[in-house]
Parts: sequence; C-alpha cells; structure tokens
Amino acid sequence: MKTEDHKVQTFENRKEKDLFKNLIFTSKHYKLWVAFLLLVIAIGFFAYYRQLKYGLIVTAMRDYTSWGIYISNFVFFVAISLVGSLFSSILKLNKNEWAKPLTRISEIIAVSAIVCAAAIIIVDMGRPDRFFNVIRYMRIQSPIIWDVIIISTYLVISILLLYLSIIPDLALCRDELNDVPKWKKRLYKITAINWSNDPKQIGLLNRVSKILSIAVLPVAFAIHTVTSWLFATTWRPGWDSTNLGPYFVSGAFMAGAAIIIIAMYFIRKHLKLKAYIREDHFDKMGKLLVLLSLVYLYFNINEYLGPAFKMVGVEGEHITELFAGKYAPMYWLVQIGGLILPIVLLLFKGMRKPLPISIISACVILGAWFKRFLIVIPSLQHPYLPIQDVPEAYRHYNPTWEEWMITMASFAWFLLIITVLIKLIPALPIQKHDHVSKNIPILNLAKNEK
Amino acid sequence: MKSKYYLNLISKMGLVTLFMFSCLSIVHAQDIDTIENAKITLSFDDSTTPRKITAIATDMNGEPIEGLDLYFYVKRTFSNLPIGDVFNTTDDLGKVSVDFPKDLPGDHEGNVTILVEIKDSELYNDQIIETVKDWGVPTALDPVNQKRSLWSAGANAPISLVLIISSLIVSIWFIIFYIIHILFRISKIKNTKA
Repeated sequence: MKTEDHKVQTFENRKEKDLFKNLIFTSKHYKLWVAFLLLVIAIGFFAYYRQLKYGLIVTAMRDYTSWGIYISNFVFFVAISLVGSLFSSILKLNKNEWAKPLTRISEIIAVSAIVCAAAIIIVDMGRPDRFFNVIRYMRIQSPIIWDVIIISTYLVISILLLYLSIIPDLALCRDELNDVPKWKKRLYKITAINWSNDPKQIGLLNRVSKILSIAVLPVAFAIHTVTSWLFATTWRPGWDSTNLGPYFVSGAFMAGAAIIIIAMYFIRKHLKLKAYIREDHFDKMGKLLVLLSLVYLYFNINEYLGPAFKMVGVEGEHITELFAGKYAPMYWLVQIGGLILPIVLLLFKGMRKPLPISIISACVILGAWFKRFLIVIPSLQHPYLPIQDVPEAYRHYNPTWEEWMITMASFAWFLLIITVLIKLIPALPIQKHDHVSKNIPILNLAKNEK
Repeated sequence: MKSKYYLNLISKMGLVTLFMFSCLSIVHAQDIDTIENAKITLSFDDSTTPRKITAIATDMNGEPIEGLDLYFYVKRTFSNLPIGDVFNTTDDLGKVSVDFPKDLPGDHEGNVTILVEIKDSELYNDQIIETVKDWGVPTALDPVNQKRSLWSAGANAPISLVLIISSLIVSIWFIIFYIIHILFRISKIKNTKA
C-alpha cells in the first residue's frame, strides 16, 4: 500500500483522480481506524470463545428472557440491510436521479448489514455446531425456517445488487490502476468478467439491473416482515399484533436512511468527496428521513394506542412497564429523542446541513437500536403464564460484558466490511452512471467545477 | 561444600520421588487389568402384581457377583426413566429384583424397552442390556397428529403452505440464477470495439 508521501500514479480525469485516490493511497488515519476495529473484534472473539467454552450461561439470558441483545441486534442489522432496496429499487425506479451517487454506499451498507445479521444468529445459538440440523430437520411450518430462507436469499441478492453496479468500475480499476499490488490487480481482472463497455454487455447489464431492482423489493419487504413474524407468531404481550410487519418495515427504512446520512458524512469528509456528495444531497436525504420517520410514527401510534387504551391483563402490565415502569426512561428517550425530535428538527433547513443532520441521524440510529431492545426484552419478561419459584436472575435481564463485547464486535465487523469495500471499489459510481443515465451530467461535478 | 551436599540430597530425593510415582503407576495398571465383563441374566415375572424384573449377575467363571449396583430404566421419548430403588444392589446370590410400574405408556401394542445398566463399577465393565416387553399400556395413535397441519411434523406440513413457499423460493431463485447466467454471457462477449 502506498502512503500519500509516495504519489506515483496520476490521473487526467478529475473524477477518476478523486475517486481512485482512496484506492491507491492509504492514510495513517485509515490504518489506525482498521487497527481499532480489529482490536474491538479481537475482544469480541475472546468473549465469544468464553461463550463457546462455558455455554450461554455467560450471558444474562435465562428461561424467560431467552432472546437478549443478540436478537435485538439481529433485528437492527436486518433493518439496516433494507437500505439497499430503498436506493437500488424504490428511488431508482421512481427516477430520483439525485440519489444515484448514493446507491453504491447504500448497497455496500446493505451487504455489510445482512452479513452481520446472519452471523449474529449463529452467535445466539448455544450449539452453533448444530446449525445444519435446522436445515436437516426443518419444518416448513416454522417462521424460523422462513427467516433462514429469506435471509440467505436476501444475502445473495444484496451481493448481486452491489456486484452488478460495480462491474464497469471494476473494469476501469483493472485498466486504469497501475500502481496497486498484484493481488488487487488480479482481483479486478477476475471480478471485471471481461467487461469492455461493449454495447451488448451494457444492454445485458442494464436488463438484469432492472430485473433485480424490481425483484429486490418484495424480497426486502419479506425479509423484515418475516423477521417481525418471528415475534408476531409467538404469543407474548407486545408481539400479539397484526401491525408488526409494516411497523418493522417502516422502522427499517427510517434507520436505513439515517445510516446512509452518517455514512455520507464520513465518506465525504475522509475521502474528500465534497464535490460529489453535496449539501443538497443532505438536504434531500433530510426530507426523505422526515417522510420515513412520519410513516414510522404513524405505525408506532397504531402499535401502542390500542393496547394502551384497553390496558387488558398482561398486555396492560407490559404497556405500564414501558410507559411508566422500569423501561420508561429508555422508552421515552427513544420515542422522543430518536423519532419525534428528529422529525421536528429536520423540518428546518439549517438542520439539514451535513453536520447537524449527521448528529440527528446518529440519534435516530441509537434510538432504532434501543427500540429493538424495547421490542424484544420487556415482552419476554411478561409471559402469560405466572412466574413462580424461579431464581431471582430469571426475572431481570442485564446483558453481561460478553454480550456487550460481542455486540460491539458485530458493529466493528459491520464497519470493517464497509471500510474494506470502499478501499477496494470506488465509493461512488464512476462508469456506470454514464451509461445508465445519459441525460444526467457525470455525477455532480458540473456545478462544482464552475 | 554445603551447596554440593544439598544438591546431592535434592537429586536423591528426586530419584526417590520418581521411583514412588513409577510404583504408583504400576499399581494403577494392575487395577485396570482386573476389570472384567459381568454377565447379566434377566427374567421377567408377570404373575405378580406389580410385575417384577429380576437380574442375576455372574462373573466370567459363572460365580454370582455380590454388591454390584444395577440401574433399571424404561426408554422414553427424550430420555430414560429410572425404575426400582435409588440403588439396586445384588445380594449374595448375585440377584436383584425391581417392580415394574403398571401405568407406563407403551407404543400402540404396549411395547416398552427396558434397559439394565452396569456403570462406573470398579470391578466390571460398563454395559447396557435392552429388552422389549409388552408390559406398557397400549397408546392409541391420535389421528389428529397424523393429519397435515401447522403443528404437525415437517413431513405432514399443509400442502398449500408447501406449495406457496416452494413457488416463492423457486421464482426468486430462478431470477437469481438467470442473472448469474447473464453474467456468464457478459463475460463471454468479446470487445467489438477492439
């Protein structure tokens, strides 16, 4: 890897220069960042080694709270992964040209998130060596099997979505990047699959891209709806709801938009791409986030109003615990700080500037993570059967350091996959854009160059 | 001079300790050699109430084994149900009897699998003897469990559910394989510009 002090290769094209720079030169900050992520992952591995050695007893999960932060984290990652379909399908099919430069980032985040979601499920298993028994002795009637099927399908589709969009850029890397290690050169050569901008190749690629843009949408909706059914088909207060599917999907889109804004902020700043990810991108993403948050707010009202009005039995106890009990501070912080305040603040143009909107998005993401905690854990602590003669530890759930470290390590994995991918491929589309939208000027350079 | 004396002493002590350990290991090896197989003969008496299972333990020479603990179980779906007392020890004739409960469910013909086990004995090898007897209460198969339903086994899943899920999987994976096929076609196209 070259450092910035040893610049060798130069590019005449401004766009290539800006976007390839990151692929050739490695800054100290980048190395430090990767080292930090690897350190967190190493600690997470140590915690997981302890979990494998001693079993799930090292976690705080017991008979009642049998799904802890691993499962809330899994739901969070599945939610984040939906962002790929938001950009590659919904915004693309609706011809939102402004969103095209952001498609690559969204697809990278989607791949990274779904990989982490699949991994965290294995982590939640007490005997991961028996994973294949899930397939071997599968019951097609079980929602868990539906989830396993849909997650593996969405994982393949997310990888395909990303891959289809990067083929022309991989060919460009193969042809233009001379000053990269041999393995990287070989990687570009293999993955570029003889791409040569031939009209036939462009025609075929455009065709399959369009097919996949349409196909990804029902799969994306299905993945999070099926995840919600894992809860909705289990008879517990708070989950016994027909609203759960759209409630999960709308929350996922909101979290996905927020994480894109945060990614945009850091990629723009550290890869020096201000000319490409401009302030009006943040402005539009802010408006989109408000819209998605309003939809989520609507489903939130639907989710809580009915049970809170009736306050029947254990369902009422569950609502009381959320609204005024043990989980009330977290609940109101999440609902106000992670949902209502962001909607109000983002209505002001000044708040849709890069830094303020990124901070607001970070609040939305934190809120989204803890919201999944609130969906999973309090419900499990209120079974319909009375809790009698059980050890005190069964009544509460306070995650152990092993659970926190494994969760932190999953975030580090998520960020590491993104970090590595934007080091291998241009963070924004270079080539494909020219072919797909000929009527649009190459990226957003025109304004900036003036 | 003193240090030499101490060194000599330590080395001698070391040799003595080594010798003691080797003796211990020899004794241990002799212990292992003495473990042999026991022979268990079972007889089932259904003339009494409750019914009785009698086991007679003899060694390789046909001599009765006294004071040997035998464990009696009935095989259930998920684990083995212990029957008899907590300890069932053979008497001076090598004999021990346990009562068989009269209300244990068997299969639809009343068959149950009875297990007699020797375990953790210092003198005899572990072994398990399995015998099938029709001493259980016959259980009729619930026809509801045999029907296709959401709560039945995987093999009895509702046809409609199997069809819906299979068609969804086939259609989406067909698209995935079609895209992979097109990618192969793209890789085969030669550059016409060149």
